Amino acid sequence: MRLRPIVLLASLILLAASGSPAPAAATDLHVAPVRYQQRTLPNGLQVLSVEDHGSPNVAVQMWYHVGSKDDPKGRSGFAHLFEHLMFKSTRHMQAEQMDRLTEDVGGANNASTGDDVTNYFEVVPSNYLQTLLWAEAERLSSLNVDEPNFKSERAVVEEEYRQSVLANPYGKLFNAIDPNSYTVHPYRRPTIGSIEDLEAATLPDVIDFHRTFYRPDNATLIVAGDFDPKQLDAWVDQYFGWIPKPSTPIPRVTATEPKRRKNRRVTVTADTAPLPAVALSWLIPPAADSADTIALQVAAALLARGDASRLYQALVYRHQVARQVDAEADVRVGPGLFLAYAILASGHAPEDAEKLLHEEIIWLATQPIDAAELERAKTLLLTDELKQRQTAQGLAFALGQAALIGGDVARVNTDLAALQQVSAKDVHRVLQKYVTGARYVTIDYLPPAKTGAPASGENAK
Amino acid sequence: MNRATSAFLAAVFTAICGAAAAEPPSTFPATPPAPGAAPTLSIPTPTSQTLPNGLRVISVRRDGLPLVTAQLVVRSGDEMDPPSQAGLADLTANLLTKGAAGLSAPQIAAAAETLGSSLSATAGWDESDVAITVTTPRLPQALALLAKVVRQPDFSAHELKRAQAQAIDDVRLNLSKPTALAGLVAARGTFGTGAYGHPRSGTPASIARIGRVDVQQWHAALYRPDNAILILAGDITPAQALQLAQTSFGDWPRPSAPLPARRPGSGDRSLPAMVLINQHGAGQAGVVAAHPAPPRSDGHYYDGLVADAVLGGSYSARLNEEIRIKRGLSYGAFSELQPLGNAGAWLASAQTRNPAVPQVVDLMLGQFRQLGDEKVSDAELAARKATLIGSYGRSLETTTGLATQLAELALYDVNLDEISRYPERVGAVTPHQLRKYARKHLRADEGTVVVVGDAGQFAAAMRKAYPKAVLLDAATLDLDRADLGAGAATH
Repeated sequence: MRLRPIVLLASLILLAASGSPAPAAATDLHVAPVRYQQRTLPNGLQVLSVEDHGSPNVAVQMWYHVGSKDDPKGRSGFAHLFEHLMFKSTRHMQAEQMDRLTEDVGGANNASTGDDVTNYFEVVPSNYLQTLLWAEAERLSSLNVDEPNFKSERAVVEEEYRQSVLANPYGKLFNAIDPNSYTVHPYRRPTIGSIEDLEAATLPDVIDFHRTFYRPDNATLIVAGDFDPKQLDAWVDQYFGWIPKPSTPIPRVTATEPKRRKNRRVTVTADTAPLPAVALSWLIPPAADSADTIALQVAAALLARGDASRLYQALVYRHQVARQVDAEADVRVGPGLFLAYAILASGHAPEDAEKLLHEEIIWLATQPIDAAELERAKTLLLTDELKQRQTAQGLAFALGQAALIGGDVARVNTDLAALQQVSAKDVHRVLQKYVTGARYVTIDYLPPAKTGAPASGENAK
Repeated sequence: MNRATSAFLAAVFTAICGAAAAEPPSTFPATPPAPGAAPTLSIPTPTSQTLPNGLRVISVRRDGLPLVTAQLVVRSGDEMDPPSQAGLADLTANLLTKGAAGLSAPQIAAAAETLGSSLSATAGWDESDVAITVTTPRLPQALALLAKVVRQPDFSAHELKRAQAQAIDDVRLNLSKPTALAGLVAARGTFGTGAYGHPRSGTPASIARIGRVDVQQWHAALYRPDNAILILAGDITPAQALQLAQTSFGDWPRPSAPLPARRPGSGDRSLPAMVLINQHGAGQAGVVAAHPAPPRSDGHYYDGLVADAVLGGSYSARLNEEIRIKRGLSYGAFSELQPLGNAGAWLASAQTRNPAVPQVVDLMLGQFRQLGDEKVSDAELAARKATLIGSYGRSLETTTGLATQLAELALYDVNLDEISRYPERVGAVTPHQLRKYARKHLRADEGTVVVVGDAGQFAAAMRKAYPKAVLLDAATLDLDRADLGAGAATH
């Protein structure tokens, strides 16, 4: 991201979805379906749009089917570095001109790189829609970065690395999850990369990456907010229609992550974190397996959404061994992760939290789940969804997440119905299959051995 | 050299992607298409009513989605913390949801989350807030719960003990972040012994000194209807708002005792102008530069907002342009004007690699000088005003954003009509007013610069450039004291 540090992809956004009011649910929540339009240009560009005249703004987003899993060999962090360079010059635009066309006229822009996708997003007063469509077509069709801009932006990304990984007290822990959770799949490379690989990147790499992945048949344009649909179609045809579709195939990651055969344990040294931490990860199926991944998201919400959740109540409230806990189903296009972690309370060691994390997860996976508790977890997820849809930008993100991560834009309206129907039995089934019945990786996050914070040394195995 | 490199690369570019990067047709313009007619921003009109017990009820209607944000604002925050009990307002707010009216902490959490969102209770410098966002049909239940936690908290001894231990851990976590620690020290430099000088959430020592009676007394003295505002934003009419407020808060008694007096926000300042703090193992240095600024009631408030927007209020503003975009020294450099109830601060901050500290400090101070010395161009001013107005308009698109803006206006006794006058007020600020404001409030002899990082990599160079700079160690700072317990080092 240009402004915010990379964090774990928030999997809840996958529930950026809704459908007709689900008849089976006992809830009074009604989330109206998103009435989107969809078309594909002859050159392969997918166009999604949704009208909403609630504010005089329009969101324009370009999602590319390329992420850090596609980083070239020896170039970890490249897809993200590349994202930054998309704000530099093109055939007809100067460096930072995207800011002139957004911020300077009352809009905003940003971009983010994940494991699977890179998205560029702007929100502008709606009279600038045409301008922004031109600008996005421009940087899709011609990027023209020079050496000084390349080097100074690479330095920015290196500062982003230092800020998010080194200076953030828990940055090294979160950055260690993917490398230790995958053995084969390129998801094992952290999105932010490493200083060495960033330093190794060259301008020809940039040109090659743009040629390989930034092409109309590898992109989805999303427009949400205050616009006229006919006018939108005409502008899209004019600015994007001419961009040729290359005849070469788009390289795709085909690696499969093998099933884990044993549990693993690693220790990561915390340089400045005042409290130790522990993180657990399990492998889960790809987003396309919606029946299981949505149930896993409900399981994660039961465990860690809100102060009434199981992990908060057990670890933070009752036993007071942890200061923070979280669980999430990090659902990806390929194999994802089910994660649980705890930052310890003063005077406690990771093993105290680890034991309780396992106990709570096993309990949830095997014992009856109160209907009201299940309903509460769903209500939290649904209300989040309503909140997201208040803005044009939020609506556009919901469409992009459904289309590119979920694999089908219709999921913006069907995942919600599926969420409403998740039963206690489903939660048991997916937890037993992917979590309690599977192998896990444990990461202990400990202060340097010699400074000897209480009880930190003996549990590293 | 640069030109030669560019020419070479252009050739490579053409050679490699000639096929893909086809020349655009004549229907593809070489310059950005001009915008159409500007749409108008419509800002909903708030309604304000007062219950007989003094509670002010403000509502604003925004339909479209069945959502309402309910926010109860108490007009007192950590500025009322006794000097030895920094963090008392925070702790009190936090404890509201940890047992009230016969409900335990887990029961309150479950009740709120069943309605759709967590019940968040927090304190700021001038206010304490409890807020919840729910779907419209659940609003009456949400308000009933909100009233219970605000009016009848238990403040049980065991919950206090738990909350204290958690608050101390939170403070320790926060102090391990270089820019967060630099910000706390910069506030000390700006406000000294004044009410805004102490770490707002307290220190491990000050939190440990807070007793149950302190929390109970604080609550009894300040959580009262004539010191509170209820805001309802979203899918609700003014009549519904008044009726719901009456149901949940109508019988909240108004005490006869007067409200306690406030201490001045600023007091004696004893920190040197340049403070360097060594934080062992810091992977980056946090740089914060702070100046005293006027309170929210200042007649030149909008001049300040626009001056801040030009200095560092957004990605394209000057600080980020100079520090990040041009030189790659940071992931982001920004400024923020913080006008509070009876004083304020104007802060600039950036995180940078440790050896780059002297350069970043120089660039920051240079930008402060330039803002007061040179007239801003019309184009730059127009761009930054547009950024400010656009961002403001977007902040009102959500029910929580609307509630936040109204809470701020009401808290500082600003006429609520200002909510829709913002674009006009910002638009009216002239280059002359901006420069005058900067000259007055960015004076070099008033500022405090604080750097927290691996001092071995920058302290020598900084002390050479700033001979009066003092070097302290993060591990031995006493943040409860206005001189950080560093009296010996500074004399």
